[in-house]
Amino acid sequence: MEYDDHELDSQIASIRAEIRTLQHRRRILTSSILSSRPLQRLAKSHPPQSAQPKTSSQDQQQKWSEISPLLQTSAAHSELNHHRIGFSTTTFPFKDPDPNTDAPNLLGIRIDIGGKDGTYAKPYYILLRTGANAQGAREVAVHRHTVPAVVDLGRLERGFLPRSKVSTPTDGEEGEGENEMQLKPWKFKAKKQDLKGFVREVRKLLVVWHLRCDAVRYLREGLGVVRRGVDDAEGVYEDDERPWERDILGANAAAAVDVGGPGEETRIKKNDLGIVSLGPTALEAVYVRLEWEDGRVGRFKISSTGVVEKAVVIGDSGRDKEMEGVITGGGGRVETLLERLREHASRGRDEEPVV
Amino acid sequence: MVRPKSIRAPTTASLPSNLRIPSSTPSLVKSFGKLTRQALLDLAFQWLEDRNIQSFPPYLQGNEDEKEEDDEGLSPYPAERTINDVRNAYQELQLRKGGKREVIDRILEGDWRHGITLRQLAMVDLRYIDDHPSSLRWTALELARIGNQQSPDYSADMTACLPCLHASTFLNSLQEQIAPLVKAHYYLGRSTSLPLTFLRIFVTNSPYQHPRQAADSLTDSSRVIYIAFPDSCPFIYTSIASTPGSKASAAATPHAVATDPRSLQRLVRDAIPKALSLPHQRYTLKTTSLTAKSLQALLALRGPGRSNQSNGAFSIFADAALEGSPLDPRPSNTVSPEEHMNPYSHHKKDPNPPTETEPPNGQKAPKRPTPTDIDGPHVSRKRTRTVQSRFGTSGSLSTAPLDRLDARLLDPPNPSSKSSPAQTQSQTTPTLSLTFAGADVISGIRKLAELGIVDAKRMPSWMTGEDAVSVAVVRGGSRVVKDSG
Repeated sequence: MEYDDHELDSQIASIRAEIRTLQHRRRILTSSILSSRPLQRLAKSHPPQSAQPKTSSQDQQQKWSEISPLLQTSAAHSELNHHRIGFSTTTFPFKDPDPNTDAPNLLGIRIDIGGKDGTYAKPYYILLRTGANAQGAREVAVHRHTVPAVVDLGRLERGFLPRSKVSTPTDGEEGEGENEMQLKPWKFKAKKQDLKGFVREVRKLLVVWHLRCDAVRYLREGLGVVRRGVDDAEGVYEDDERPWERDILGANAAAAVDVGGPGEETRIKKNDLGIVSLGPTALEAVYVRLEWEDGRVGRFKISSTGVVEKAVVIGDSGRDKEMEGVITGGGGRVETLLERLREHASRGRDEEPVV
Repeated sequence: MVRPKSIRAPTTASLPSNLRIPSSTPSLVKSFGKLTRQALLDLAFQWLEDRNIQSFPPYLQGNEDEKEEDDEGLSPYPAERTINDVRNAYQELQLRKGGKREVIDRILEGDWRHGITLRQLAMVDLRYIDDHPSSLRWTALELARIGNQQSPDYSADMTACLPCLHASTFLNSLQEQIAPLVKAHYYLGRSTSLPLTFLRIFVTNSPYQHPRQAADSLTDSSRVIYIAFPDSCPFIYTSIASTPGSKASAAATPHAVATDPRSLQRLVRDAIPKALSLPHQRYTLKTTSLTAKSLQALLALRGPGRSNQSNGAFSIFADAALEGSPLDPRPSNTVSPEEHMNPYSHHKKDPNPPTETEPPNGQKAPKRPTPTDIDGPHVSRKRTRTVQSRFGTSGSLSTAPLDRLDARLLDPPNPSSKSSPAQTQSQTTPTLSLTFAGADVISGIRKLAELGIVDAKRMPSWMTGEDAVSVAVVRGGSRVVKDSG
């Protein structure tokens, strides 16, 4: 009896889930149709206010006027999306709801970055506070942002958006500051703020970070990844004593960053290169750690242009300079690393009988 | 049992991981007793794994022969013949139902009767933290570079802006820093549930490798300092040793004077930035005014993610609850924030919409409202909107539970422009200190605002958790940030 109840419950749950999925799909499709070009063109050719007295379509006219607000919003939305896709960095106004703030009007910057799987990461936001400095010129400062610590926003802000030093009314230091202002006026000369440069640099660093993560993921996928508990029966080394490794850039990487989860437990599949582990040393994915079956351990650095800059491979008998050369050589693109390694391995196999 | 006589000379080496605490020490039962039965079994299996067996050898029959005094007949747990036998014994316990006491007894009186090593004890403690992430109070500290404030150098490698932590190198240099002053045992472990690396430091006052002091002092939890390193962000979290029992046990040990846990802790804290520093790249620790029990909260507010600098009203940006991806054809205002936050979660059940409750209008006395007190859908809807704009998603959809929020208000209380109704009781004092305590302070304030007890519109922003601190000094409704930190 109890068993039947459970079965019914699970069936009901799965049907509900399917209904939700279908509803979700219907909403996507409706919005897609509404923003589709033929329909939009048709809507433009039927301006709702141009009251055409004659003919047929009184009710058709009514229908157009009914759906025209929907059409308009979806047209506006798709235009917005085109901007976001096309320019990647967009701005918007935001009002700070804090009643005690002296600068309630904030300038928001939204940065959209696409990943290699065709989806977009959650947009990054920077909210800037605008104010005037002592000379009355407009100055901006970062108020709030959602840029992860991987990009050192504070440092970029100090570099690109220097604020003229108004001797801040902190207790005790005021007199000192003014004294210094008289003695060393050059120190207080307002440097020019470069908002465009700031945004460009932030976006560049974010994009570069995403590209590095994508590159490491690409390499891992090239070797094959086994996830614990999902598909761990196949392709694992026999009597595998290695501990599972947490994949900080895996399928749920974005979620891991947001939620603070530890990431999935994964291993690299058994492969022809004998690599048992490949993964970033930290979330920044600047350094990638490699481990081979025979105990050799390597580490290489991905530059911001996607080139393997430096590589170190150390085995039981010291450095493996040959492997280091293979990793950094041949143009050094990180994406072709596995091909270089395979080529090297096959060359080694060819030479072996001769030696 | 402590190892047989070795030469006792003061050294600066760290305490060895294989230093054994006699299994008969009563406080060991307490330390082990904190864990669940399953956790204890997991640990036992871990100790018996092939790659660990060298570090945690169980007591076998072979050991018995070497011993002179033989009172094995009295032990309820006869020594096993091989390691596999030991494993089987724990497998049996795994299958059988029962209390955790039998597992503890089996470990202490059976297979590890010759002593529990410091490393095993450290693993027990870390397992406890893993299972109970709110068991300690953690303080977040920021690692800041010294000396690069004035001249930012763009040519430098901006990508590697965080101090790179290599565990063993770091431990070596930390040991170098602390060694002359404190003798310590170090254990590094990775959290299984959070993106954190824990460092457990146990400090003693004895300069000897095999201290002769009471075995109880090796299990004294007030001598343990935890440091957690979150992944890829310039923060570290430290535990404050504030065990209530520490006073009594410190008084009991004869060496209490020399080892004030607080000063030992300060020594360790001071050594960490020095151990992380490199030539031309020196770090210092800055306080960040955040102390909380929940590691989740610390990770959300001082972690590697998006929400460090956008909380309260701005949490909608951190959670991206406002707009979807540029590929989403649906207009943003037709999609619920939950769906924006988890774009692939439409399979899940929708959470129930929050029911709005509020006290009747015109009633000044803060009568406890009941869910039936509803004064018009219009007022309620307006208030919900205000609360949403002030709190964003914090306190409801995304939580960073602060267990305590201290605010010192520097403004002279002015009845005509009071910023929060909570102040009204004590207007005579020149400055006010407010302390909120509870399981999750920010969501509690949000509830109050939803009920209309706190005016969401005029409430200062520190009450929404926007500053992401647990200690705030407030002037004019906004937080005063001291330069010195």
